[in-house]
Amino acid sequence: MIPKPFIYRSKPATAAFDLLNPIPYGLFVGTLIFDLIYASNADVLWAKGAAWLVTIGLLFAIIPRLINFGHVWFGPSGGVGGSEKIDFLLNLLGIVFAIANAFIHSRDAYGIVPMNVVLSVLTVFCLSLGQTVLAVHKFGLKGNDRE
Amino acid sequence: MTVNKPIFRGTFAIVLVFSVSACNERASYDSGAQAGSNPPLPAAKSFFAPPMQVPKRVGWQNGAVPKVADGLKIEAIASGLTHPRQVYGLPNGDILVAESSSPEAEPLTSPKQFIAGLVSSRSGKSAKGANRITLVHKRTDNGVWEKHVFIDNLHSPFGMQLIGDTLYVADTDAILKFPYKTGETRITAAGVELADLPDRINHHWTKALLASPDGKKLYVGVGSNSNITENGLDVEYRRANVLEVDTETGASRIYAAGIRNPTGLQWEPKTGKLWAVANERDEIGADLVPDYITSVQDHGFYGWPYSYYGQHVDSRVKPQRPDLVAKALKPDYAIGSHVAPLGMVFYTGINLPTQYRGGAFIGEHGSWDRSPLSGYAVTYVAFDNGRPVGAPKPVVTGFTSADQKMLYGAPVGLAQAQDGALIIADDVGNVVWRVTK
Repeated sequence: MIPKPFIYRSKPATAAFDLLNPIPYGLFVGTLIFDLIYASNADVLWAKGAAWLVTIGLLFAIIPRLINFGHVWFGPSGGVGGSEKIDFLLNLLGIVFAIANAFIHSRDAYGIVPMNVVLSVLTVFCLSLGQTVLAVHKFGLKGNDRE
Repeated sequence: MTVNKPIFRGTFAIVLVFSVSACNERASYDSGAQAGSNPPLPAAKSFFAPPMQVPKRVGWQNGAVPKVADGLKIEAIASGLTHPRQVYGLPNGDILVAESSSPEAEPLTSPKQFIAGLVSSRSGKSAKGANRITLVHKRTDNGVWEKHVFIDNLHSPFGMQLIGDTLYVADTDAILKFPYKTGETRITAAGVELADLPDRINHHWTKALLASPDGKKLYVGVGSNSNITENGLDVEYRRANVLEVDTETGASRIYAAGIRNPTGLQWEPKTGKLWAVANERDEIGADLVPDYITSVQDHGFYGWPYSYYGQHVDSRVKPQRPDLVAKALKPDYAIGSHVAPLGMVFYTGINLPTQYRGGAFIGEHGSWDRSPLSGYAVTYVAFDNGRPVGAPKPVVTGFTSADQKMLYGAPVGLAQAQDGALIIADDVGNVVWRVTK
């Protein structure tokens, strides 16, 4: 089966999504790095940094996730592929892990370890897997063979 | 879409698990059940979010007053104050009132700090103080209590001690000396610094003060710079301890360490030993860790941050210090979890009924990290031969509404007036109360 190309209805929404969507991903990767460092050296600077990264990441995730929600579940009939639905659900799961992680970071000092690392890994894994599913979908699209 | 069902189910299950674990547990013990020399200590818990229950400040309305135990009377001797935090009885019967609050020097370093600050500010406990000491004087002609601004432009003052004709005031960053003449209602002379005090961050900002009977030393209660080292161990240098300061030179040393937030420093009248009241750590359970009163031994180490009640290790602290845990002393007497004691006075007067003589009154500012609320009362612990006996008895209560949603006032510092009355600072009601028989 040859996958269909993705269809987008709104240029501003698509632009806003493409601009904002990478920001939480980067911040969550930063959270993971800081959490790993804190687990290893117990210097509270890293724990506090991680708490800000995951919190700000969640704030930046609100708009692109809402846009994606509208696109995937209320888009034109037949215009959304299964890979986009999988990506949406993986992102949803990742955001749930990130919200849980933000709460875990409200604990004091080393009380956040090891749950901070576990949740950071799960968050980044879900978002990475969603992105990978979309990337794989692009292969085999009509027109890609021109490149 | 069958491929997505496991993801759906997984997401739902995770949300459910976290929702359930986010529910705040309720306390299993009341304060009395966790009082004494061997309080039951349940296992430590960790939470999804810090459990918080904060009543909303409404103040004392329509002349309402706290309730007192049978045989006692209570009256307001000063109201309309700006966050009265500590009181001190002068030999001529005048009362000094430190109107004070945190210097607000703690930087915002975590999202939790921001949100918890918003929630806890409901209670009015962290309202801004006037940074001054007010003198409350009873007129001899008509018996009316009047207020005078006694010392102005202080920096989060708390401890006050008179030695001879010198009044020592513990600002959050230094001990200041002022000349005092009996009967005067205003000191205009600038304070002279005797000794600087640890003043970085000032998470716990109050500096309690007690003079030795010979006037040669001052003992200073210095609280920790965190709940449990979440601001790093380096900012805990000379914190969570009782300092001994030489009144001649200002030189100081750590007298005792490992007490998270020691205030209410007092000499136990029978034995002459130094005692303190302490706020223990939060966020490991509604029934952990009981606050306490204890004798304070020279060179003693009382556990914070590494352990509590002797050798109960707190896993939130890294690196751990088994060597310090091994020598941690167990406090003498628990008074219940999260009651937040910030004042204590051993009663040596004769104004109050006999059952209140020789023991300690404790000002319990009240909990935020617990359901149901605890504290919000002045309690009395009887002493026999220099040791606390029996359970604490509530003496002054009624600071919260019955449904625990409204806060009328909160007792903080205590003092014994020259005439033997018990004086209570109430920094939520902005009142100073006087309890007599």
